[in-house]
Order: sequence, then structure tokens, then C-alpha cells
Amino acid sequence: MASKHTIATRHAQGIRARFASRFLRSLLRLRRSGNRFGGSQSNDEGIGKRIRTDRIKIAAYAAMARAVGPRRSWSRALLFKLRNRARIHGVSRKRCLVSEKKRVTRNKVVAISREPSRADTLRKLVPGGDSMDTCVLLEETAHYIKCLATQVTVMQSIADRLLL
Amino acid sequence: MQPCSREMQGINSLLNPSSQIPLQDLQNQQIQNSHFDPNSSSNDDFLEQMLSAIPPSCSWPDLKSPWDLAMPINSNGNGNSAAKPRDLPDETDNTNVGFHNNFDESVILASKLRQHQISGGGNGASAAAAKMMLHPQFLMASARGGLPQNDVIDGSSFKGGDGSIQELFNGFGAGSMNGTGQASSQSMKHFNHPQGGAMPAQNFGAQVAATTAVMNQPQPSGSNGGAPAQPKQRARRGQATDPHSIAERLRRERIAERMKALQELVPNANKTDKASMLDEIIDYVKFLQLQVKVLSMSRLGGGAAAVAPLVADMSSEAGGDCIQAGAKGGSLARPSNGSQTARTNDSSLTVTEHQVAKLMEEDMGSAMQYLQGKGLCLMPISLATAISTAKCHSRSPAINNNHHPLLQPNGEGPTSPSMSVLTVQSATMGNVGGDGGAAKDAASVSKP
Repeated sequence: MASKHTIATRHAQGIRARFASRFLRSLLRLRRSGNRFGGSQSNDEGIGKRIRTDRIKIAAYAAMARAVGPRRSWSRALLFKLRNRARIHGVSRKRCLVSEKKRVTRNKVVAISREPSRADTLRKLVPGGDSMDTCVLLEETAHYIKCLATQVTVMQSIADRLLL
Repeated sequence: MQPCSREMQGINSLLNPSSQIPLQDLQNQQIQNSHFDPNSSSNDDFLEQMLSAIPPSCSWPDLKSPWDLAMPINSNGNGNSAAKPRDLPDETDNTNVGFHNNFDESVILASKLRQHQISGGGNGASAAAAKMMLHPQFLMASARGGLPQNDVIDGSSFKGGDGSIQELFNGFGAGSMNGTGQASSQSMKHFNHPQGGAMPAQNFGAQVAATTAVMNQPQPSGSNGGAPAQPKQRARRGQATDPHSIAERLRRERIAERMKALQELVPNANKTDKASMLDEIIDYVKFLQLQVKVLSMSRLGGGAAAVAPLVADMSSEAGGDCIQAGAKGGSLARPSNGSQTARTNDSSLTVTEHQVAKLMEEDMGSAMQYLQGKGLCLMPISLATAISTAKCHSRSPAINNNHHPLLQPNGEGPTSPSMSVLTVQSATMGNVGGDGGAAKDAASVSKP
């Protein structure tokens, strides 16, 4: 569903601004929810921090994927993966682990025993890269690299501002 | 393609070296014309111009084409129709003499064929052949390269038979001067021996020769070799135009352009090799993803930075607190839990460590770049030790970027490690909440 915000910023400001706005909003949301659970998690700090790290990372990727929209194959695949993960996460962590493992093993039944070529490595890195042929893969990689770079610069500038 | 019988007779007469009439005609023509205009629209004049232009520069010493082999064959015995194995490397000295003969005959052959084709408008291959003959380069090539006569005509080198003939026609109809042949037939391979600019032209001429000669072949036999598939597209000369190779070529070209686009995106992309370029791309994607991860860590309010485990390792050696990254001054206060926190975060942050170690093996510069990209730095253990011990005393989180110890405008240079540490601490304390210089990432310590 296209919110007002989405429609307004379809291509008006470029991907950088879109990503920045989405990411900031999700960061605010995370901070609010983090505060809700209490500021002092001194007993479980390590794991708590890791979870928050992951949450921020996931928020960043989700913001980027939504900013790109369904135009690109990798963003579609990334959104799909995140949605699945969110859905499974919501059910239960244990069950999620089990189902993920089952899913994973089922996919790997037919194991091709050959050295992973560079294209295969790239497929693993780029979201949704499994179902692309080399030509499309390279194109998606180019766009993905571009978006990752903007993501990094935006996050870095946000961190600069935040840490002041 | 059905050249008319008259044409074929003419061609056959040409190909029978015994008849010298065409040669005489050609020689007459040569004498007359003296101006070479590659853009001449008049078809008949074109060849003549070319012919006039070519003969003055008649030495082709650098020829290593099959024509070189063809030359001796022709010069040895014009009527010799024995097919000789057409190996490329040999180069004979009696090139020029035989070459001239071939040149004349080939030119006449080409001209006659062209005239016929243009008038008759034969099938696609023939028309393409005609067009190719009109191509200035082709004309140059045919003039310079000559048309190997007998062994080509014998078709012994055209082992492929109809298939090869079709390939030749198709390649011929492509009209391009590309020297990289794909044809399966031996002769095509010979023709496509690339040797720079001159060679493609000669190869082109050879192809023309081959095609014209081959066009002779089917005629007497009346086979269907004269009806090759219409050249589907003007593929580059010398490349077989069966759909598989065309598709392959398209695919390869597309991949090449995508690789070029990627090369601009990825830094340090001076590699010309596709494999190493792919490696660079992969490394860069991994690096960017790692950067996102690290940045997300540093974003946590008071969370330990990626470097915390690294620093913790060092500080555990030093026995002090670890340096932690902090968001704001107030939220920092994480004193001596640092090591514990670092240890708990160790597994998640080992990736960064490994990445840095790996980069350091390859190239120190790239490792530094990588660290700087993440806002991390390398600092000598002594300094880190000093900082951590100083931190122990002051119990305040020190967020150090490498820039800070050096760039802090404190007015006093770092006279000693301890002094500098104190300076840094005071500076960072002052900076936290101040302008944008405050470090947000911790320092990583490297073993000297």
C-alpha cells in the first residue's frame, strides 16, 4: 500500500533521501520500543545489544529495500525475506529456527559438488541472487552496490549527528 | 544463389589460369585509373579505383595469411589443383609475384561477381556478397589479398561441405571486417587468422574469395549449397552466424558491458581480468555489508562498538578497561564492564576482526582504508595501553578516533603517551556534546 509519504517521495528526492527518511523513522520507532522495555538491561546486555544491533541492521536494510521499491529484483527478494523473517519471528523463535533449518536443508538436497565459482559467491551476497542468470546478476549487483554505498554514507552521517 | 551461366563461365575462365584474357583486361584497367576514391558511388568505378590505388603499393611482405600459401601454389603451377594443407605460419618469398596474378584475377572475379549480383540481385548471400564487395575495405582487401584460386576452389579446405559453405556465405553476408572467425571450416579458420589491421582486410578479402570460389562450387554440382540461409543479421565478419554463437556473443557482450559499469562503481577497479574483477566486486560487497553491520552497532545507545572485542583483547593484556564507543556523553557510562561486554560481543564482532586481519595480509593500505571507512583506526599497543590505563583512572569512556589524538587542537603536542592520553581524554570529554568531531567508534589496536 502506498502511503502518502511513499507517493510523495516516489522519485522526487532520489534514493538517498528516501532511504534516510525511512531509516530515521524506523530508528525512532526502535528507540521508542527499546525505551519501553526499560533502559537498564544490565543483566543481559550483551545479547540485548546484539539484538538491537541486528534490529538496527534489519531496519536499515528494510528501509533501503522499501526506498528502492519493487522495481529491482534484489529489493523484492530482500523485502520478501524480511517479511518472512518477521512473520516467523513473530510466531516463536524456536519454531522459527526449526522451520528455517528444515527449509534450508530441503533446498540443499541436490547438492552440486563443485567449487563455488565467483558467480555463486556473488549470488549468495546479493539478495535474491539465486534465481538470476549471470547477466542479470551483474546488473543487480551494480545497483545493489550503489544502494549499499548510499546506505553506508547515510548511516555514517546519521551516526555523526547522533553521537554529538 | 545462382549466378548466371555466363558469369560462371567467366569466373571459371578466371579460375583457370590458362586463360590470360581477364588478366589483360584488368591490366588495362589498372593503367587507366589512378585515383582511389573509397566513397565512390559508382560501382564500376569503385573497383577500378581500388585497383589503381593498390598496385603502387604492391609489396606485402608482412603477409602471413593463407594467401601466402596460396601464392606458391598458384605460382608453382597455375593448373595445380591439388589441395595443400593450409597452415598459416609459412610465408613464402614469391609472394608478390604470385600475388599479383591473384590480385588481378581476384579483382576481376570480384568485379564480375559484383556486377552480376547488382544487376541480377541474386539471393541474400549473393547480394550480401555484392554489398561486401562494394565495401571499401573489402575492395582494398580483395585487391591486396588477392583471391587464392585453386586450393580454395578445390574446396578441399572447405571440409565442412555445405555447412561450411553456408557459414561462409553467412559470414560473408555479414559484411564486417572482424578477424575473429568462428566458422568451423578450416578455411574460415585460416582466413580469420588475425594480425592487426592489415590482416582483417586481407582476411576479409580471403573470405570474399572463399565465398566467391565457393559459389563456384555449388554451381557445377548443382547442390543446394548455393542457397544458404539468409544472413540473419550483419554479424561481424568471420563469426559464424548460427543462432547459438550469435546468442553467445550477445550474452558475452552484455556481460562485458555490465562488468564495465561495475568497474566504475567499485573502487580500485583497475583490473582488466574478469575473474579478478569479480573478486573485487565480491570483496567490495562484503565490505559494504560489513560496514552496514558495524554502523548499526555503533548506533546503539551506549552499545559496544565493533572494536570493543579487539580493544578488549588488547586491554585484557594490558589489564585495563576496554574502550567503548558511546553515543552521547551521558549515556556512555560503561566502566569496567567493558571487558565483559566485549567478550559477550566477541562472537558478533569477530567478523570485523577477521576481515581486518585478512585485509592486512593482502595489503596494508586496503586494511587502513577499510578501517577508516568504519571509523576505526590502528594504534600502537603502547598508546592503547596508556589510554586504557588512563581510562581506568578517570573512569570515563574514551572514544578515540585516530584523528583525535593527533588533531585535537589542544595547543600542546603529545609529549608522551600518558600526556597524550590525558589530552585525548580531556578533549573527547569536551567534545562529547560539542561539535561533530566526537569520535563514535573505538580504536582498534594492532600488534606492532
